[in-house]
Amino acid sequence: MSTACPSCGAGLETPLACGACGVLMLQEDAVCPFEVFGLKEAFHLDTGDLRARLRRFTRLVHPDFFALEGEEAIARAERNNALLNEAYGLLSDEARRADRLVSSLGGPTEKDLGSMPQAFLMEVMEWNETLEEAPPGSDAMLQLERELNEHRDQISEQIGAALTPLPQPGDESLAAIRQGLNARRYVDRALARISASSAPS
Amino acid sequence: MGYIELEVLDDQPKRVVIGIDLGTTNSLPAIWKEGRPEVLEVEGEPALIPSVVHVSDDGTAVVGRTARARSMDDPAHTVHSIKRFMGRSLEELDEAVLQRLPYQVTQTERGLVQVEVAGKSFTPQEISALILREVAAQAGVAMGGAEVLSAVITVPAYFDDAQRQATRDAARLAGLEVLRIINEPTAASLAYGLDQKGEGTVAVYDLGGGTFDVSLLSIEDGVFQVLSTNGDTSLGGDDLDAALVDLLRGELEGSVERSVFEEPAFRQAARLAAEKAKIALSKDPAADLAISLPELGLNARRTVTREEFEALAAPLVERSLHCCARALKDADLSAADVDEVVLVGGSTRVPLVRAEVERFFGRPPHTGLDPDQVVALGAAAQAEVLMGGSRDILLMDVTPLSLGLETMGGAAEKLIQRNSRIPCSVKEGFTTYADNQSAIDFHVLQGERELAADCRSLGRFKLTGIPPMPAGLPRVGVKFHLDADGILTVSAKEESTGASASIEVKPSHGLTEEEVEAMLEASLENAKRDFEERRRVDLIAEIGIMLRHAKANLGVAEERLDRESMEDLREAIAAAEEAQSSLELELVQIARDTLDRATMPLATVLMDSVVKEAVSGKKLGDV
Repeated sequence: MSTACPSCGAGLETPLACGACGVLMLQEDAVCPFEVFGLKEAFHLDTGDLRARLRRFTRLVHPDFFALEGEEAIARAERNNALLNEAYGLLSDEARRADRLVSSLGGPTEKDLGSMPQAFLMEVMEWNETLEEAPPGSDAMLQLERELNEHRDQISEQIGAALTPLPQPGDESLAAIRQGLNARRYVDRALARISASSAPS
Repeated sequence: MGYIELEVLDDQPKRVVIGIDLGTTNSLPAIWKEGRPEVLEVEGEPALIPSVVHVSDDGTAVVGRTARARSMDDPAHTVHSIKRFMGRSLEELDEAVLQRLPYQVTQTERGLVQVEVAGKSFTPQEISALILREVAAQAGVAMGGAEVLSAVITVPAYFDDAQRQATRDAARLAGLEVLRIINEPTAASLAYGLDQKGEGTVAVYDLGGGTFDVSLLSIEDGVFQVLSTNGDTSLGGDDLDAALVDLLRGELEGSVERSVFEEPAFRQAARLAAEKAKIALSKDPAADLAISLPELGLNARRTVTREEFEALAAPLVERSLHCCARALKDADLSAADVDEVVLVGGSTRVPLVRAEVERFFGRPPHTGLDPDQVVALGAAAQAEVLMGGSRDILLMDVTPLSLGLETMGGAAEKLIQRNSRIPCSVKEGFTTYADNQSAIDFHVLQGERELAADCRSLGRFKLTGIPPMPAGLPRVGVKFHLDADGILTVSAKEESTGASASIEVKPSHGLTEEEVEAMLEASLENAKRDFEERRRVDLIAEIGIMLRHAKANLGVAEERLDRESMEDLREAIAAAEEAQSSLELELVQIARDTLDRATMPLATVLMDSVVKEAVSGKKLGDV
């Protein structure tokens, strides 16, 4: 990570642009989201601080501030702002953040793990039964929603604990974290179905 | 490196960037002046330009008030509310809206909507370009003759990619560079300076002439973020007018032939009567709804009470509040979380609207600024940012609709989720299905539905130039980039060989690059024709004056000119008289020049006699 601006030598908070002289830096597509935000890789982060950084950095890279500086400058601003927004989208979402950490530590991908344990799949089938049979807003549906939310919080807590401090690259614990993330997808999908069914049309 | 140079450039005069509210009913320019936005004025009046275009049979187009004035006597040549058609296909347009139009709307074989006026076809982009050209011209006049070349243009927050692109193309056709397209609600909040208020949630309720939009924005540390948007692209003041027109029709029912209701003259007159009554009802408890068209044997007058009007308006207001409820749900907020409510659009002057909005959000809305001006004022504030005047205002937007591609099975795969922050980029890898396949077809979609057929088709593109390889081997990277204006661009590269694949995008509802170019060329040709026509008319007028003068002095000429000169003069007069009815510029020019030369000897003679007369009557010393 470069820490000094190649143009004016000032210290850099983000590799996208220099806060001191305003110059936009050229970045690879694959730039690390944590790096973009000037943060160390970690699961826990201060969301208020993340938002403040987003605002601060957006002021450096938003195309509006380059409107009269020619196509090239605008294109670079568009690109850097897109990178910033992409990194924010990833970091601000707990599941995506965890997914990124597991991947960058060399853990298994979603597909590497194969199918979920039988007991869990049985549970999912029960949810689906309720989702299909219980009317929206019914007690059974509300009960399921509560359970799913609890379940999700529980998974999040486990994942957070397992990722703090960060395991060593390739550590065995990464497989368990991945399994937790996969389980969370099932929970999120079921929750999305509940909110879709109760949405006003 | 370039930044040092830029400081030098700072000494140069700043480019003028204006803000334009390109509205369904009216358009308005504004500019930043002495620390605040100001609506541009011509002769002491806001340069409010009705978004109306009148096209005569000879192809001459006029815009604005003059055009609106023609809507009574020549409705079939007068185009209103073209914004409703921007970037849309015929089947997407509201049947009821089309039915109320006194002219035909058709589509090209590619599905481009066109209005048929004066035997010509115009795309909505071309009509909008005429409006924008007039707005820029008026703005120029308001600024003492400055040429307006760059602008910030506002669009409803709900405008999709095709509609934003159409707006951008319209500006291009009008010779304007669009530095930024911003959402109307964001502009309205900027106008009220809500960004200076620290943090809070703002609801912008915009009931314009043709569209309703509600947007929830969060403002924090001067940063605007659109939390959610909702709306109804066919709900607005026009619908209130239409409800009153229906009332008027009910009044006439039975006393006249039903076919009268289809007469263009009736439609326009009824619309204007309704609009007048609606405006009066905002301050009076009752108003006259009157129509008089003797040529159709029509004469009707009826009093509408505010109560009656409100009963008609209530379902429409209710529809708008449903949108508000959906916007709140999307943003995961309740009405109580909203800190400020901003009203936009002339229809928010209707007392029922104000009362219902206040009831819904539980707080009185901002009404300090003219609801017809707030959007233009906000656009001017943003124009100031773009001119490098300030980084205090920062607009962070989200895309209101998801963007994706049609998959093999006809499903819609979302690449960019709705409410993603823009600008944003997403890259997806694709490969071939057959050996030596050299091209891949893509269908770009916008919308939330699961099936491609239910989403809006933005365009199709074909990726060609993939080097011959076994199926599944090529790695084609397709990149979607949604820019700060919410406009999508697609680029692609074959990555395994580095061969650059080329892309050909066919927008489903917009103009292709070639079409824009062709229209630009045509407008340049038109401009040349217009110029020549003007020159011809001027020359004929000049010939008229010269002829009058020459004929009046024909006696003097015969007396004093030699035979040859006299013959030349007679010939030139005859030719000039003929040229007066000529349509050929060149011929008119030659006739005028010949006449000018032929009258030279006469002018000399006349001058001599004038001088002699003058001198003869005076003493030498006076000369």
